[in-house]
Amino acid sequence: MDIRELQGYANFFMTIFLVVLLYGYIIHLYRSEKKGESDYEKFGNIALDDNIDSKPIVPNPKTLKENEEENK
Amino acid sequence: MQSNAALEYDYSVAKLFTYTTILFGFLGMLIGTLIASQLAFPELNYMLGEYGTFSRLRPIHTNTVIFGFTLSGVFATFYYVGQRVLKVSMAESKFLMTIGKIHFWLYLVGALAATISLLLGYSQSKEYAQYEWPLDIVIVIIWILWGISMFGLIGIRREKTLYISMWYYIATFLGIATLYLFNNMAVPTYFLTDGLGNFMHSVSMYSGTNDALVQWWYGHNAVAFGFTVPIVAMVYYFLPKESGQAIYSYKLSLLSFWGLMFVYLWAGSHHLLYSTVPDWMQTMGSVFSIVLILPSWGSAINMLLTMKGEWNQLTENPLIKFMVLASTFYMLSTLEGPIQAIKSVNAIAHFTDWIPGHVHDGVLGWVVFMIMAGLFHMAPRMFKREIYSKSLLETQFWLQTTAVVLYFTSMWIAGITQGMMWRAVDEYGNLMYSFIDTVAVLHPYYAIRALSGVLYLTGFLMFAYNMIKTMTASRELTQEPQFKSPMA
Amino acid sequence: MFHWLEKNPFFFSVGVFVIISFAGLIEILPNFTEASRPVIGLKPYTVLELAGKEVYKKDACIACHSQLIRPFKSETDRYGQVSLSGEYAYDRPFLWGSKRTGPDLHRVGNYRTTDWHENHMWDPKSVVPQSIMPAYKHMFTNIADIETAYAEAVTVKKVFHTPYGDEFKGTREAWEAHKPTVLAEAKEVVKNMKNKDVKDAVANGEIPEIVALIAYMNRLK
Repeated sequence: MDIRELQGYANFFMTIFLVVLLYGYIIHLYRSEKKGESDYEKFGNIALDDNIDSKPIVPNPKTLKENEEENK
Repeated sequence: MQSNAALEYDYSVAKLFTYTTILFGFLGMLIGTLIASQLAFPELNYMLGEYGTFSRLRPIHTNTVIFGFTLSGVFATFYYVGQRVLKVSMAESKFLMTIGKIHFWLYLVGALAATISLLLGYSQSKEYAQYEWPLDIVIVIIWILWGISMFGLIGIRREKTLYISMWYYIATFLGIATLYLFNNMAVPTYFLTDGLGNFMHSVSMYSGTNDALVQWWYGHNAVAFGFTVPIVAMVYYFLPKESGQAIYSYKLSLLSFWGLMFVYLWAGSHHLLYSTVPDWMQTMGSVFSIVLILPSWGSAINMLLTMKGEWNQLTENPLIKFMVLASTFYMLSTLEGPIQAIKSVNAIAHFTDWIPGHVHDGVLGWVVFMIMAGLFHMAPRMFKREIYSKSLLETQFWLQTTAVVLYFTSMWIAGITQGMMWRAVDEYGNLMYSFIDTVAVLHPYYAIRALSGVLYLTGFLMFAYNMIKTMTASRELTQEPQFKSPMA
Repeated sequence: MFHWLEKNPFFFSVGVFVIISFAGLIEILPNFTEASRPVIGLKPYTVLELAGKEVYKKDACIACHSQLIRPFKSETDRYGQVSLSGEYAYDRPFLWGSKRTGPDLHRVGNYRTTDWHENHMWDPKSVVPQSIMPAYKHMFTNIADIETAYAEAVTVKKVFHTPYGDEFKGTREAWEAHKPTVLAEAKEVVKNMKNKDVKDAVANGEIPEIVALIAYMNRLK
């Protein structure tokens, strides 16, 4: 098998693989929202409510701890 | 919580980059207008001797607009948006503040040195990668500094989820880093020859067809990661924030992101259709270019639908007008690009003025409009003053829109005319036109383009004036506006 | 399954990186082995021609001129035989260009003479009345940097094994020894030129940029 052929196969299968992955991602997004596991649309509010003292949508546990320590 | 009450976002680095955006925007467009006029009126080539010819100035135009204006705009908006969507202030970390400052000053020095080097004729002659190796090293350092800033901020963030704009900024960082490094691989001749010849000179690691492949893999994707990805980052933040409407579909924005990442990189070889590059690769370039419409339109439609039910804002708020027009031009040029990548269309379009036409409806209509709107949105919040003049903003909008339309329509006609004339044959199969016939016929279109350059530049000067007045003389604000930017 | 993507910047970055490198890896790397093979009989550029190529790069001729003849009858009729990959084997960088404001130059050596180039670079309108190309009079006074061109030849010989002779060495002595060869080549070009200043310069051992550029143009066949 020469390099050209290998290149062709690699390309073909990688493309298929990534397309499957992308569709998997789409299905994942919609299904997890349908089941109520997660709500993606709420992340859109990150841009709207972005003052430094507004409440994070998903607080980062690391910085949260620091804040608590500071407040003690 | 007490400690947070006094904490504010720190915009000092964002402000610095705002100044360079205006400076390099003006320079880049001034040179652009000059070289456009030179094509219509060649006498204009002789104003600066050796340093004023079209050929010497053209790389300076492209590089100043890409690496001067656009990158400044990307950095300015990043240092603004980054803090806000991560809900962390740069003032919270002395280290990041210092890095940010060094990032800016090194960038300014680097950009000026790079411009001078091109003026003196130091050039690798690879499009958008002209800078010689010492400057490449400076650029790499600047880029690393930006990376440290970005991931540093991410490291101390309060908001765990990365907003979609951050995704696009990260992709910009990674994409340009990879592309730039590989394309600029070169061997400096000075060190291998015991100090013979010019210190600045280097020779490309790739030759001929290989070099072409790497160059257009870079060239095409530098457009992707310089002119598309970070601008999408901007629109995903500024449009929702200015209008008070959340993104129409956050899920669609995530999907378009991965789609764009995957597809864009394949399309580079459409610059090499009918060249000596292997056939299957050319076909690949064509096919993926067409698939590329999907993720691009995914983003664009998402932006437009964000305005659903709120279209009245379009008449009330000129900034919304800028952003909606930018999104529309994004749709136009992401449709036009794939059309040009179809092999039979490319046979006519390649090497003609249709290509600069395509680049400019993207850049003038989409990139510059979006960056200007972003900076206008930032100004009242950074300088705590309202925007100086709404009527100036409106005038600027219509002036520049007219200019863009004049630009791309004249170049469409010029390009197709020339492409058809090159291949026209008489009844015996002989070529009908000598090359110079196909140049002479373009004069009116070149003149129209020069005019459109003057109009656009005037509009940009209005923007600069409006911004400077906003910074210095406008009415002060007591409170940060939540959504719509206040303007007089 | 995909939840960590939104919240973990490290894995997110790795993911983006893999996806964007993928096309490059598949598309570009494997082709490297084949595409750089020169066509039979192709000689590397002489030092004078390399210096001319430097002038071509310095003044960004690439902004308006291509060096790529595409496989259409209209192009082969106008410019000559279709360009082959192997003809570019010694072109570092490639100079195909992306815009033809002026005509293609890949085989310009076949149909333009030294004399024509001299007139044209001095005043394009004197040979092509409707031309919009600027005159490049500074090339008649600027001196070409042949030392750097020599350094380039030595570098590509060392690093990429471009077939230059054994006399190409990275030392000042070797360069001084090679210099007369370059001058002799320049004198050949100047024979067909008429500009007095250029002739004088070459007689005094200095090579104006125009001479190097014409040597390069004549080589493009």
